[in-house]
Amino acid sequence: MRLVSILFALILGISIIAIPQNDANAFSDQQITRGAYGDDVIELQARLQYLSFYKSKIDGKFGYNTYWALRNFQEKYGLPVDGIAGTKTKKALAGNSDYDEKWVKAQLNAGNQFTYYGGKPLDQQVKKGTSGGNSSGNSSGSTNNNGTQTQVPPKYTERDLQLMANAVYGEARGEPYEGQVAVAAVILNRLESPEFPNTISGIIFQPLAFTAVADGQIWLEPNERAKEAVIDAMNGWDPSENALYYFNPKTATSKWIWSRPQIKQIGEHIFCS
Amino acid sequence: MKTWLVVLTIAVIGLGAYSIDLHGDKEDLQRTVLAQYTDNLTDASEKLSHLQRAVSQSLLFQDEQAIHSELDSVWRLSSEVRSSIATIPIGQELSNEWMNYLGRLGDEAKRTAKTGDYEAWREKMPQISTNLQSLSDDWTAATVDFYKNDGKMDVWLQQVDNKNPNATFDNVKDTLKGYGEKDFPLTLSESDWQKKIELKALQDAVITEKEAIEKVKYLFPVIKDATFTVTKSNDTAPYPFYHIQFHQGIRLGYVDLTEKGGHLLSYLVERPVDEAKLSQEEVIKKAQEYTKKLGMKDVAYVESRENHQAWHVTFARVHPGDNALIYADGVQLKVAKDSGELLGANAMEYIQEEKIKPQTAKPIDWKTFFQDDVQVQEVKNIYTDNGQFEQRLCYEVIALRDGDSQETFRIVIDAENHNVLKVEYLT
Repeated sequence: MRLVSILFALILGISIIAIPQNDANAFSDQQITRGAYGDDVIELQARLQYLSFYKSKIDGKFGYNTYWALRNFQEKYGLPVDGIAGTKTKKALAGNSDYDEKWVKAQLNAGNQFTYYGGKPLDQQVKKGTSGGNSSGNSSGSTNNNGTQTQVPPKYTERDLQLMANAVYGEARGEPYEGQVAVAAVILNRLESPEFPNTISGIIFQPLAFTAVADGQIWLEPNERAKEAVIDAMNGWDPSENALYYFNPKTATSKWIWSRPQIKQIGEHIFCS
Repeated sequence: MKTWLVVLTIAVIGLGAYSIDLHGDKEDLQRTVLAQYTDNLTDASEKLSHLQRAVSQSLLFQDEQAIHSELDSVWRLSSEVRSSIATIPIGQELSNEWMNYLGRLGDEAKRTAKTGDYEAWREKMPQISTNLQSLSDDWTAATVDFYKNDGKMDVWLQQVDNKNPNATFDNVKDTLKGYGEKDFPLTLSESDWQKKIELKALQDAVITEKEAIEKVKYLFPVIKDATFTVTKSNDTAPYPFYHIQFHQGIRLGYVDLTEKGGHLLSYLVERPVDEAKLSQEEVIKKAQEYTKKLGMKDVAYVESRENHQAWHVTFARVHPGDNALIYADGVQLKVAKDSGELLGANAMEYIQEEKIKPQTAKPIDWKTFFQDDVQVQEVKNIYTDNGQFEQRLCYEVIALRDGDSQETFRIVIDAENHNVLKVEYLT
């Protein structure tokens, strides 16, 4: 009986060691589709690229490029073609590809340009020290701790997010969260107004428009809270209720700003149209 | 004692030299910046006279190609002068007036080139050409004044900062203001749109502060025990609303409700968010339940986007007649990744319900509409703004173009006249 137990334990141990690495790193059990973001999407993109279905940047954002690649994979492997990475699709992907999570994450964190095609040595697929992310490299901006970029609505870019987060942090870091979203919303309201430059950069750097630009505080590193505030504003929130200006009544020197119709006060800032 | 004196003298000399060096650096920097400002000022001045000439020249031709070339110049030059002016510190008010005037002139040229309504252009532009000439003269006179500052940045800044009132740009400011209102009055669609964002259509009864808090507790039961601080919007706000800030444990946030009818404008909570526990499918399902709880029973799911702490889920009102999605009547929800709690709702657009005029959809043969290497993947009927404040019935097409790497586009096409209204590159 003891011998049987030892034998059973031995077989179990060997079978655990024998599980291929790709399965050990397989996805979480959640199904993902367009709009998703994070580790599961990084793995999905890497595995699709390993099999040459996905040719764009591995960025952890499930957009259309990932969607078409996934559909092509599903079609080729006889799965229902729905662009959703569910249990069956993930299993088929994990069984047919390899995923070196540590390596992929290391490249993302280092901001290296890289690809992850199967059958090609990994060290030949990376360009070190490039800050623009990987292969297609057409966007720059902030990444979080696992190297995944933030998702913003299609009409905005990562650069817009970064620049606005800098402006919000420089202008309103001591304000309540609502006040930070409102400052971001004012910048976006100006973008829609014919009275202001028609780019986010043009609005922020318009001479005399923002104190943070004049005193250099715009160059401080923004925190996650400021970025979150910008993301909320980009997604439509506007606690300023359509304001085009704001000012701190304790420090404002311009007489003209007092002539603007006021809307509401949040923290230290009065918002006006 | 002698040694100390020597050390002190050296220190004073050193500090003096450092201070002279620093002052020199600062002056160099100021001169560089001022040179750039002056360059942009001159550039704007020159292009403004080119713009005036282009407007005038556009009135010379009957030939469509010739007039198009001048309209292109008007559009390009107005945009270039705008860019130059945007980089000069001339004071917010004057800058705004310029941006507005030039932007409207450029838009008018673009619209004329697109619609071919040259008669309206010919009728309007002679006066605008004369006005531009006088603006250009005033501007030139004002800029000449600035060249007299001998490269002194502080003099420039004082003049534009209202600290030391100066008539230099006052003429331009006054003239612009008068011309802006006269040359480019609001069109009917624009004034309708303006009324809409001022929520003038809301006819409901005014609710009290107490009723507003009760409404908040009903809509968002998670904060029913919160401490509320209610303030009313300022009298000069375009529409009256209640601004309700709340605090309950780890939750801090605000709700804005219209004073008329207590309609939800927006809601936002800030709280720490734990590790994600819900799948995308569960989040979307929860978001759909929230729309019903908020009384938005006529909306359909559009898209969702995941970020660090939350999902942003978008819905749009469904047209009762043809089931097309009205994007201008959108609702956005923010759902926490850890528990699925509603962290935000934005109904500002939803409550300004669009009035849609009846329109017919004429079918399009996609094979002849697009190039051979373009595959149409999805077609949806939607209503969207055509850039002239009109809601148009459109086909929203997701198309894939084959190449070395596949590229995805979202194309919005007017369903009646088949004009392409928007093209977006999707990744």
